[in-house]
Amino acid sequence: MAHSSTTSKPPAPVLPVIVTGMADVGRLIRELELIDNTLLQLGLRTGGSEVKMPKTSRLMDQVIHDNRLNLLQQADRAVLRQFLATIKQQSPVLHMSFSTDPPPRFLETLVTWLRREIHPAALLNIGLQPNIGAGCILRTTNKQFDFSLRQDFQKKRDLLLSQLAAPTAKPPAPASAKGTP
Amino acid sequence: MTIWWLLLILAAIGSAGIAFIWLAVRIGSAGPAGKNLAESHQDAADRDIEHLFNADFREELRNRGRLHFEKIIGENAMFLQQDLRLTTSELNEYMKTEITTKLKEEFGKYEQSIMDAKQLAVESIQKTNTAIDEQRKLLSQQVQQEILAEKEETIRRFEANMGDIVNHYVLAAIGNQIDLNDQLEYILGELETNKKAIVEDIRSGA
Repeated sequence: MAHSSTTSKPPAPVLPVIVTGMADVGRLIRELELIDNTLLQLGLRTGGSEVKMPKTSRLMDQVIHDNRLNLLQQADRAVLRQFLATIKQQSPVLHMSFSTDPPPRFLETLVTWLRREIHPAALLNIGLQPNIGAGCILRTTNKQFDFSLRQDFQKKRDLLLSQLAAPTAKPPAPASAKGTP
Repeated sequence: MTIWWLLLILAAIGSAGIAFIWLAVRIGSAGPAGKNLAESHQDAADRDIEHLFNADFREELRNRGRLHFEKIIGENAMFLQQDLRLTTSELNEYMKTEITTKLKEEFGKYEQSIMDAKQLAVESIQKTNTAIDEQRKLLSQQVQQEILAEKEETIRRFEANMGDIVNHYVLAAIGNQIDLNDQLEYILGELETNKKAIVEDIRSGA
């Protein structure tokens, strides 16, 4: 749980990619509060009494590791608490719906791209819509982006119509169908 | 008409018979001579009535009168029989002719009626065939229009929902074989395409 506190700390805490959604942030906040309470109890108790330290989760371990924090230090806990509160209050939350539950590797890649291209503290909530089939639907604060296969077919309706009109003609190379699943 | 003629002829024959009988009775009752002869006979009878008109003479006169009457009756009966036969023959001929004529007329009318009915039936059948042909053509046109409209509607709906149809077909065909990892490149490409809009929406806030 405790990492060696060095002088070269990162200038600002970063959010690990495995922390994807608001639920993970809430879980980290509750876990940090538990650690705080445990350490407070440890300071209040007299010697000889045994206090059992809580076991940190994988998420918390990753946060501590990436930000090089020592949660035994109250200052680091305060920094992390402040950081998590800021994340909870100010981070943009995006909602993506898939037809199936995305695997962790897929999610990490997606979150990495979002935090690199959209916002460094972007959070992602995952939803399931089996009728999507392929692709996904992204919902931001005010907009919805349909990246599903159905929408892609709708966009390429003219191409489908032209193919239907000339069924024997050789279909053109899908220049705009970059990475279509 | 024939019945009336027959009745008229029979009435004439009956009248002739009655007149003949009446004449025979009248002659029989009037005596063999005129009024003068009767008066002379009456005078002679008055003079010598018992000598001239004895029982034998009266019997002779009676016999002669009876024979004369029978002769006249026989002749008239023969004439009547001949007339009756002639009339019957003419009547038969007339009846035959009339019946034949009537039958011919009736058969002619019957044949004409049959021909008219046949003509009417043929015209009716032709009209019915014409009407059926028109109805068939009309129905065929309506069916063609309905089929064309249905076809156009199907094509319109297919074109309007082509994305959904193709999507449904693709998912039904290979939906189980599409993995999210295979879609990652496509999703990232779409995100990259819409990155500017997403960033602007996030910056604008709620």
